[in-house]
Amino acid sequence: MKCPVCGREAIGDLCRYHAEAKERVLAAYPLWVKAYGSIEWKDFLDNVKRNPQTGQWAKEIAELLEG
Amino acid sequence: MNTGYTLVICEKPDAARSVSEALAEGESRSEQIEGTTVYRFSRKGEYFVVCAAQGHVYGVSDPSAERTVYPVFDIEWYPSDLVDERSASAARRISAVRKLAAGASKFVNACDLDVEGETIGYNLLKYACGGKEKGALRATFSTLTVEDLVKAFDNLKPQVGQELARAGRARHAIDFVWGVNLSRALSQSALVNGHMYRTVSVGRVQGPTLRFLSERELEIREFVPIPHWRVMGTFERDGVKVTAAYARDRIETKIIADKIRRECVGEEAVVASLRRSLVQVGPPAPFNIGDLQKEAYRAFGYAPSRTLQIAERLYLGALISYPRTGSQRLPLSIDYVSVIQGLRRIHEYSAPAAELLKGELKPVQGAKSDTAHPAIHPTGEKPKRPLEASESAIFDLVVRRFLAAFGSSARRELTEATISVGAHRFRLAGGRTVFPGWMECYGRYAGYRDVEVPSISEGERLRVVDVALEERFEQRPPRYNQSGLLEKMEKEGIGTKATRADIITTLVERGYVSGESMEVTELGLSVVETMTKYAPTIISTDLTREIEGKLEVIEGGRGNEAELMRETVRSIAIQVAELNANEEAVGREIDSALTATVAKSFVIGRCPVCKAGDLKIIRSRATKKRFVGCSNYSKGCRTSAPLPQKGTIRSASRSCERCSWPIVYVVGGRRPWRLCVNPNCPGKKRP
Repeated sequence: MKCPVCGREAIGDLCRYHAEAKERVLAAYPLWVKAYGSIEWKDFLDNVKRNPQTGQWAKEIAELLEG
Repeated sequence: MNTGYTLVICEKPDAARSVSEALAEGESRSEQIEGTTVYRFSRKGEYFVVCAAQGHVYGVSDPSAERTVYPVFDIEWYPSDLVDERSASAARRISAVRKLAAGASKFVNACDLDVEGETIGYNLLKYACGGKEKGALRATFSTLTVEDLVKAFDNLKPQVGQELARAGRARHAIDFVWGVNLSRALSQSALVNGHMYRTVSVGRVQGPTLRFLSERELEIREFVPIPHWRVMGTFERDGVKVTAAYARDRIETKIIADKIRRECVGEEAVVASLRRSLVQVGPPAPFNIGDLQKEAYRAFGYAPSRTLQIAERLYLGALISYPRTGSQRLPLSIDYVSVIQGLRRIHEYSAPAAELLKGELKPVQGAKSDTAHPAIHPTGEKPKRPLEASESAIFDLVVRRFLAAFGSSARRELTEATISVGAHRFRLAGGRTVFPGWMECYGRYAGYRDVEVPSISEGERLRVVDVALEERFEQRPPRYNQSGLLEKMEKEGIGTKATRADIITTLVERGYVSGESMEVTELGLSVVETMTKYAPTIISTDLTREIEGKLEVIEGGRGNEAELMRETVRSIAIQVAELNANEEAVGREIDSALTATVAKSFVIGRCPVCKAGDLKIIRSRATKKRFVGCSNYSKGCRTSAPLPQKGTIRSASRSCERCSWPIVYVVGGRRPWRLCVNPNCPGKKRP
């Protein structure tokens, strides 16, 4: 099975790089909620995607999760 | 041909010329033998013939002509032209030395005194001179000035032990066995199980170095920034404004940041403490090669390999001492006074040199030492030819660092103030140089800036003008630059001072790392991933560091190179067998990364017109010429631009500031040049 983001060999749904990036994105959400008081999941993903500091694979995952 | 002469072997042609010019009493006659220049002259009744290698003229290889077979553990030393087609001149040089050796009664090894120099001299004496490596004499010097060369030849020493050559030969053999087996295993796997042949190498130092880069690349690509806030307070007294940062740099939540702001605005502030202190800043240690490479990168942006090349040219021009040194020390054997007197005759340095000569000359010494050579220092000689801009820059850096080592400590006044607003604290810091000392000698390279703190005093009351909140995000870790990577390699104890810069260059040439940004390519990531999975020892720092340590023991006259070779072969055999057993999977992974890397290498950046496609290098089927075109052509984007037809085009990974089109490097000729691919870029229009 191939990773839907990059076409590398997948372990489960994603390749190991995008799987790790997904973990990072998911782990960041509660920290963003705490930092801002509250933030919607969709807004969080949009902000992560547009932030220049976000890594390439994390951006791709944010796009994937945005659906 | 004259017989009974002394044959002197130098490492490079320029060194041979300097040696003959320094030693000849009367005329030194040059002639061509086998297309290489040799010098003949007399000195103190002795007849000398001086010849030169051109770096390594012998290399390690396996006896088999078949280049795809592995594992290979049976190795021999061969003339370099048989090992590497780029070393065609080696055959002529060996032939010249062989002819000259036939008439010589005494042999002197005058190659650079370090592992590589000893190895070059040893191999020529052993193979081209018919086993003269043991009876030859050794000339040892750290600069190519007349004075040092005369002293070296008046005090020739017998070649004893030859530890450096033994270690050097062992290092070459280990690196060959390591490189050839792993490279063949990976390249063959990709060819057999994929559809592309390309050399995929994993050298002994290259592997762990690529792993550092790859680990950092993963951190960068997976990075998700977390927000935080910085609070800045602006205070005022009698029209003078003071800005200070909240004592805690990073406020984790907006709620807390808002609360700080609310509690400070409209309140009165007081200067709770004000502390001024004087600190002494000592001069930096004299340069070893690693420090020079890092400082040249910081000051001029030169890659480490470029700095080394320039420093070697300056050494061959007798302007600076031998640059491949690990020492940060300037021993008393260097005649400080005459070097600084010499520098006084060079306009730019006459003032600081004259000032230093008024006092006692005692340089600061660094912690690192090197038994063969002192720290890099100028010889005090004036350039005999106009220097190129890059040579002038490195020469200036070396001279100023040397002069700075004799300077007195600088003194800086540091100011730290705390401003309180109720329970909240803001901090203010500044510093200024009150006595420059060595900084005057080191000039613009000293790097200390003055940050003045407005005049306030303890207990003074201030009005809170504003409290601003800055929303910030964690910065992702930076990619290593070439200087940072060099530092990491040094810290991890892998590679040598002579080889680290070349390893970095090889990573770029192999396509593992692209552009100035040192971004790891798909291929680079895949090689590390594959090796981590199937042959982890090969890219571990531990094994490389352990071998490095054992080679150093051999250099020190102890240790056993045959035993070290056996241990290395054992390790490699196990790892290669593991790769072999998984050849199909290894091949698939490497091949797919190769395909992705090759495809990406044609992309030079995002299309500035449609903003959806990529600009790619395309070769016209009709004209066979290359140009830039948008990958969105099929969807209607007609953006295209011509490209230079000569040289290799590499993406600079950045856009033009004037027009946002991608910038490329055109590599060919002496130095790469930068080009905005937009033919109508406003930056190209003549006024």
